[in-house]
Amino acid sequence: MLKRVFLLLMVALIWACKGSNNEIIPVDDFFKTQDKAYYRISPDGKSLSYLKLQDKKLDLFVEDLATGNSVQLTHLNGKSISFHFWTSNNELIYYTEDESKERKSDIFVINKDGSKQVQLSANEKSRLRVIEDQLIDDKYIIVASNKRDSTVFDVYRLNVRNGKMDIAAKNPGNITEWMTDNRGVLKIAVASDGVNETLMYRENENQPFAPVITNNFETTLQPIAFSEDQPNILYAISNVNRDKNALVALDLKTGKEKQVLFANDTLNVVDAKYSRPQRKMLFVTCETWKKEKYYLDDSTRLTYSKINQLLPGTEWKIMDKDKMDKFFVVRTFTDKNPGSYYLYTASENKLKKLTDISPSINQEDMSSMKPISFKSRDSLNINGYLTLPKNRKSVNLPVVVLPHNGPGGRNSWGYNAEVQFLANRGYAVLQVNYRGSTGYGKSFYAAGFKQWSDKIQDDVNDGVKWLIAQKIANPKKIAIYGNGFGGYIALNCLYKNPDLYKCGGSNSGVINLFSYLKTIPPFLKANLQMYYEIVGNPVTDTDYMRFASPVFHADRFKSPVFIAQNPKDPRVNVAEGVQFIKELKKRNVQVTYIEKEEGPNPVMRQQGRTALYKALEEFLQENLGKK
Amino acid sequence: MALDKKSGYRKNFSLGVTFIVLISILFILSLFLAFNYSKKSIENDFVSEKVNVLEQSIKPYNDFFQNKMPEISYYSGYLDSSTASKFVDTVMLKYPFISKVTFYDTEVKNMPVKDGINANHLGIGPKSIFQFGKGVKPDSVKLYSEDDTRSFNVGSDFNAIAIKLATFVEDLDTASVPTQEKLFTNFSIVNSNENKITYLNIPSREDLRVYKDMIRHKLNPSPVYQQDVMVFNLDAYKIKIINTRPLLYQTIRIEPLTYDPIDTSDENINTEIALPGAFSDFKLYLISSKSYIKKEIFIYFMPIALVLLLVYGVLLLVAFLIYRNLNINSKMFKLQYDFVNNLTHEFKTPVSVIKIAGNNIKSATALSQKEQQLYGKILDEEADKLNGLMNKLLAFTQIENKAIKLNQEEVNIVDFIESTIESHTLKHPDFKMTYEVVGFKTFITDPVLMGSLFDNLAENAYKYSKPEQKKLHISAKLIKGVLVFRFTDKGIGIAASELNNIFKKFFRIQNEYNQMGSVGLGLAFCKELVNFMEGEISVKSKVGSGTEFKIVLPYNS
Repeated sequence: MLKRVFLLLMVALIWACKGSNNEIIPVDDFFKTQDKAYYRISPDGKSLSYLKLQDKKLDLFVEDLATGNSVQLTHLNGKSISFHFWTSNNELIYYTEDESKERKSDIFVINKDGSKQVQLSANEKSRLRVIEDQLIDDKYIIVASNKRDSTVFDVYRLNVRNGKMDIAAKNPGNITEWMTDNRGVLKIAVASDGVNETLMYRENENQPFAPVITNNFETTLQPIAFSEDQPNILYAISNVNRDKNALVALDLKTGKEKQVLFANDTLNVVDAKYSRPQRKMLFVTCETWKKEKYYLDDSTRLTYSKINQLLPGTEWKIMDKDKMDKFFVVRTFTDKNPGSYYLYTASENKLKKLTDISPSINQEDMSSMKPISFKSRDSLNINGYLTLPKNRKSVNLPVVVLPHNGPGGRNSWGYNAEVQFLANRGYAVLQVNYRGSTGYGKSFYAAGFKQWSDKIQDDVNDGVKWLIAQKIANPKKIAIYGNGFGGYIALNCLYKNPDLYKCGGSNSGVINLFSYLKTIPPFLKANLQMYYEIVGNPVTDTDYMRFASPVFHADRFKSPVFIAQNPKDPRVNVAEGVQFIKELKKRNVQVTYIEKEEGPNPVMRQQGRTALYKALEEFLQENLGKK
Repeated sequence: MALDKKSGYRKNFSLGVTFIVLISILFILSLFLAFNYSKKSIENDFVSEKVNVLEQSIKPYNDFFQNKMPEISYYSGYLDSSTASKFVDTVMLKYPFISKVTFYDTEVKNMPVKDGINANHLGIGPKSIFQFGKGVKPDSVKLYSEDDTRSFNVGSDFNAIAIKLATFVEDLDTASVPTQEKLFTNFSIVNSNENKITYLNIPSREDLRVYKDMIRHKLNPSPVYQQDVMVFNLDAYKIKIINTRPLLYQTIRIEPLTYDPIDTSDENINTEIALPGAFSDFKLYLISSKSYIKKEIFIYFMPIALVLLLVYGVLLLVAFLIYRNLNINSKMFKLQYDFVNNLTHEFKTPVSVIKIAGNNIKSATALSQKEQQLYGKILDEEADKLNGLMNKLLAFTQIENKAIKLNQEEVNIVDFIESTIESHTLKHPDFKMTYEVVGFKTFITDPVLMGSLFDNLAENAYKYSKPEQKKLHISAKLIKGVLVFRFTDKGIGIAASELNNIFKKFFRIQNEYNQMGSVGLGLAFCKELVNFMEGEISVKSKVGSGTEFKIVLPYNS
C-alpha cells in the first residue's frame, strides 16, 4: 500500500516537474456530461424550449427568443422528463417517467406560457414513442405504444385534446419501425424477423401494407423522407447491390432504385437531411475518419457553408429547426470538446451559444485524436485512431489499446471521455476499427463474421505492431482494455500474446460465446441464426466456440487482468465471471475485480463510474507505470 | 584444628553428592516426562493428523466439484456428444476417481415428453444419452436417442435432477436474483449411496423465467431449450491417498463406512475419518503397528532427550567447577593458617628468649659485666631476628604488590659472592661454600634484592642438608648474553611430586628439617624477586643426593 502511495507520489512529482500543463484532471470531469439538454424550437421559430437542472431536478423551460424571457413550465418531484416536443406554435407535450421500478409514465400537454396543462394519460405501465409530432387535424399526433402487448409497439393516433388513443395500425409482432409521410399519414412499416428486414408500404390508411423489398441484415436500407413532388418515392440510405451506403430515391411500387442522389465508391453515407419547406434533399453526411457533409446543390451549399464558417474545425449537426428553416438548434463537437448547443438564425447568419455539454472540460487540456491506417497481415486496409498524451514526445509511450464493442459498430472521431481520460494519464490510446466494424462497407463488415477469435484479433495485434514499428509505442508497456465484445477481444489478445501485452482488462466483457448466444431467446430462431452467422454456431462449431471463449482458457492467463462486471446484469452470466476469476486467482494471476452497480439513479451511476475508472487507473499505473 | 579441616571437606562433599543426586533425579524425571509427552503427542497426532491426510487426499475431488464440474455450465446447454466426450476425457485423465460419465443431452420443451418428467406444460426429457468411461465399449457409447429408445430407459438419475429443476422453477421468484450457491445446490445432486454426482448446467435467469412461463402456459412459438445433464460415477477406491505423515501412518486404506473388523490385534492401533460429499459412505482407515509408532515416538523423543542431556551435562560441569574452586580456596586457607602458625612460632622464640633475658635481668640483684654483656647481646640478637622477620614479611608483600623500585648499581660479582659466603660461614661455621665465576666481572643489579635472594637460597641449602653434608657451590656464568647462577647443594633433595609446589606461597615440605623457624615464604619470595628482576628460576633435584636452583637473569653492564 505504502509502496503504491509512494509510486503515485513519484509519478505526480515527475509530472509536476515536467510542467504545469500536464495536470491530472479528476476522473469525474471527463465523464460529467449534461444528461439531458434537449432543445426544441417552436414551429414558428419564436420560442425555445429546453430542460434545465434546477435544485438537482430537471424541469421544462420555455424562452421567448425575441424578449429572452424564460418561463418554468414544470415543477416535477420524483419524476423525470423523458422527452418533450412542440405540437403547435403555442403547445408542448412532455412525457414523464417516475423513478419507481415500473417506471410509470404520464403525458401532459401544456401551453408555452405554462397555462392550460392537460394530463393525457396517467400512471401508464406502457412505453410511448413519438413517430410524428406534427399536429394532424389540429388534434392528433402519431405515437407508438406497447400498451396492448408489452413486447410489441402498435401505432396510435393520440388526441392531444382529451388524451384518447385510437389504434392506427396493429403490429403483428414483427414490425420494428414505422414512418409517416410529410402529412402525417402512416405509410411505411419495416418488418424484421431478426435477420431479414422487409420494407412495407401502403398508399393510404385504408390499404394493407404490402412488402416492397426484403434485405438481409448485412444490407442497409434506411428510409429518410418521402418525396413531396413525386408519388410513391422514398428517399433512403441504401447499400442494396453496393458496398457503400448511398442516397437513393426508391420506387415503392417496384422496389427499384429510381434515382441515385449521392453515391461514391469510397464514401459511406451515414445521414441525410430533407427539407420539407424546400421539398428536397439538402445534403448527405459521409463518414470517413470524420463526418463530412456533401451538399446536393449549390444553393444549399451556400446556405450551410455559412454555418461552417462560423464553426471552423468542428463537426456540427442540426438537432432541431423551425418549420420554415429559419432557426436551427446546432450541436457541435470536436475530438477535444464534447461540444455546445447553438441557436443559429439564418436570416442574420448569427450564432448564439445556448450551453456547453460538459463545462468541466477545458479543450486546451485535451489531446487530439488522429486518424491512422495500416495494412493487416493479409493486406486489408485497417483504419483507426491514435490519441497521444499532451506535451509528451511521441516516442516510446505506454499504450492502451481500446477495441470497440460489437458485433458491428465502429470508433468515430469526436470527444471520447474514456480515451481522453487515458491520454490525460499519460497513455497513448489506440483504437482500431477491425474488420467486422460498420461504416467501411458491406464486405468489410462481412469479413469479420466468425473471425472473433482469429482475424479480428489479428487486426488489433497488427495495429499494435504497427505502432511499435512507428516507435511510438514502448513495446514493454502495452495494455488492452474494452467493453462488451471489446473486453472479449482484450482478454483473448491478452492470453494469446503475453509477449505483446503487459496487462489487460474487460468491462462487462463477453467471456463466453455460448452464454452470449444464450441471451437470445431460442424462439427468435431467425435472430439467433443471424448471430450464428456473425459470431459462430454453437451447435455445429462447438469446438471453435470453446476455443474462442476466454472462460475456457483460465489456465493460459499469465498477465495481470482487470475485470469489471455488474452482478445484477441480466445479460451477463455473473457466475461464469466469478468462476473465471476464482480460477485465475487460484493460479496466482493478479486479478483486479470490480463489481459495479448500475441503475437509473445518476448519482449512483456516477459513483460506480468513478470507482471503476479509479481502479482502472491504478491497475494501469501498477502494471505499466513501473520502470 | 585438623578436625575442623576434615569436617570442612566432608561438608562440601556431601553437599556435592546431594546436588548431583538431585539433578540426576531431576534428569531422569524429565527424561521420563519427555518420553511420556512424546508418546502422548504422537498418539494425539495419530488421531488428529488424519484431517490433513483427508484434506490432501480429497483435494482433487474438491477441485473437480468446485471448479471442473461447473465448466459444463460454460457450454450453456450446447454440449454435444463429441465435445462431451472430449470434456470427459480430460476430466478422467485428471481425476482418476471418476469411473464412468453418463451424458444426457436434454431438451426442455413446452410439450409433454415421453421419456422424462412433465410438469404441466413443461417437459424435460433427454434427446440422447451417451456414456463414457474406461470400460465402455465403442458400440455402447450411445445408450438412447429419440429414434432408438428401446436399449435404455431414462434412469432415476435423470428423473431426480429433472424433478429438482421443475420444482425449482415452480417455486422461483422471478423478481429476485438467486445466489450462485443456491443455483449450484439446486442443479446438482450428490448421491453418496451410489457414489454419483448429477450436474445440470445452470440455466440463465432469463431461461428460468421462460421455464416458469412454460409450466403455466403454452407459448407460441413453442420453444425448445437445451440443457446438459452429466452423471459422474465415482470410485472411492481410486482416490489417490496422500500420506502426509508416512512415519506416523503405516498404511492408509479406503474402507466402507461400516467397516469395523473384530480381529484387530493388540499389535496395531487404528483411527478413521469419514470422506465428504459423494464419498460419504466411505472412510479413510489409518493403521500403524505399535512398533512403527514407537519408532516415531523415538524420533520425536530423541531431540528432547539430547537437549535434556546437554542441560544435565552443563549442570554437572558447573558443579565440578564450583567444587574445584572451593577445593583450591580451602587449600589456600590451609596454607595461610600454616603460615600464621609458623610465623607465630618464629616470633615466639625470640620473644620468649627476650622474655627470659628480661626476667633474669629483673630477678638478678646485681649484674656482672659478663652477664650484662651476655644479656645485651642476647637482646640485641633477638631484636635483630624480629626485625629481620618483619622486614622479610614487609619486603615480600611489597615485592608481590610491585610497590618498590629497583636500585641499579654496578656490582662486582666476586666481591658480592665472597661477602655472602663470609656472612654465612660466620653464622654457621660447619657450612662449606665454594664458588666459581666465568665470563664476567661486574653486572648491574639491585644489591639488596640480590643479597636477599642469595641469602635465602644459601639459608635453604644449609637448612635442608644433613649435618655432615652442609655444602653449597655457587656458580655464576655469562652464557649467550644472559647471567646464569647455579646453587648446587648436597642436601636431602625434593621429591618430584613436590617440585611444582615449592615456589608457592606458604608451602613447606613437611619433614624434620623445618619443624621450627620456617614460614614457607623463602622460595616464594625468591621467585617473586627473580620475576621482579625479569628473570627466571627453576629447580632440579634428586631425593637424597641434592638440589640445584638455577637463576637466569638478563645481563646489562
